[in-house]
Amino acid sequence: MTGNLPMRLGTAACLAVSGYVHAELYVHGYRVIPFVGPAFLVQAGGSFAIAVLLALGGPVLLRLAAAGLALGALGGFAVSRTVGLFGFTEHGLQPAPEALVSLLAEAAVLVLLGVSHLLARRRRETPGAVA
Amino acid sequence: MTAREGAADEPGPEGMTRRQLLRHTAWFGAAVVLTVAGGEVVSHIAGPSGAAADDDPHALRFVQISDSHLGFKGSANTAVEESFSHALGQINALPYRPAFVMHTGDLTHLATPAQFDQVRQMMSGLRTGQVLTVPGEHDSIDDTGQKYREVFGAGTAGDGWYSFDVQGVHFISLVNTLSLEKLGHLGNDQLEFVRKDVAKLPADTPIVVFSHIPLFAMYPAWGWGTDDATQALSYLRRFSSVTCLNGHVHQLFTKTEGNVTFHSATTTAYPLPQPGTRPAPTPVTLPAGKLGEARGIREVAYRPGNPGLAVKDVRLA
Repeated sequence: MTGNLPMRLGTAACLAVSGYVHAELYVHGYRVIPFVGPAFLVQAGGSFAIAVLLALGGPVLLRLAAAGLALGALGGFAVSRTVGLFGFTEHGLQPAPEALVSLLAEAAVLVLLGVSHLLARRRRETPGAVA
Repeated sequence: MTAREGAADEPGPEGMTRRQLLRHTAWFGAAVVLTVAGGEVVSHIAGPSGAAADDDPHALRFVQISDSHLGFKGSANTAVEESFSHALGQINALPYRPAFVMHTGDLTHLATPAQFDQVRQMMSGLRTGQVLTVPGEHDSIDDTGQKYREVFGAGTAGDGWYSFDVQGVHFISLVNTLSLEKLGHLGNDQLEFVRKDVAKLPADTPIVVFSHIPLFAMYPAWGWGTDDATQALSYLRRFSSVTCLNGHVHQLFTKTEGNVTFHSATTTAYPLPQPGTRPAPTPVTLPAGKLGEARGIREVAYRPGNPGLAVKDVRLA
């Protein structure tokens, strides 16, 4: 098993929340937007899948995938508020409250992954520490 | 431990044992399978999309074309009439008969009677229930839209605005090109028309608004916006689905603001630069063979019971 249980379950829960927000937006209209619609579907499906597997205790590869999904969603959010994502733009924290919920969930995924990585490294570096 | 098991635990050249490789492959496979399954479930919940609506006899389908500029002479497109004819042929070749075809303005380049006559004749060959238009600023160059309205103004109010209903969807066609200073402008009479037009509609009525110039601030420095659009959109705030379809900018662009989704259409004639990439929005001459990619038609489908419209932009073949 990889990482400690509360951290892993927390990461999985935050990722699932991000997936849920993307799925909800996809169902309620975003699916008609070229490129953005399919991207939301992939984000939702991928987030649910990685969340389940993380909860079951996947290897480091899955934690990297979780980080990739969170970074991808945050990057897409930033691009859609600046230069536009394939011609699609939005303003601020619209749609509310989904945009804010998604941002917080994805930031939390990255924080939790970072903290669990640091904890794991400290355990490896501390002789005699119990994992 | 058997020799076979020993080999499985032996690290490979990249430091991973066969057992670890198998384990990773299993997790990766599970991730892929679950991702596909999750995507399937979500898209199933979402219901049929635009593509599926193509096969639905109850779906409302219409086509938007824009910015044909008949009469334009320039290196950006030396045969705009041919391009327009090509676009019309592509519409007639669709596997369904659209309820209507909407041209969102700049039908002509210089608003001459001959250009209006030519565009009217060409569009009369469309295989559709109805041909509808809104004027662009090129259609009202010297007469605030008088010649445009003589050809396309039947059944419209004010300076050419109107609304209609098809299969439960309420359509509003606005004119924001007549009182141009820098940005598009609707004016008080038209704003009052919008307010009264939607006053009695239930909030779950899907609303589609056509205009030539965008109703959102796409790039105000080039006049790509409408100065009093906020007022018009405030009357539509209570509706669950509002879709604004415009032309003018000769390129695809989508954005959402609250309950409103804006879709700028591309042209059938020639491209304009992306906002801010050149000093002015003048026609762009593309390398040989690239012009087709910049032009297109837009198919729109609405399936009763769905929250919004499915918009599909198709290049000129």
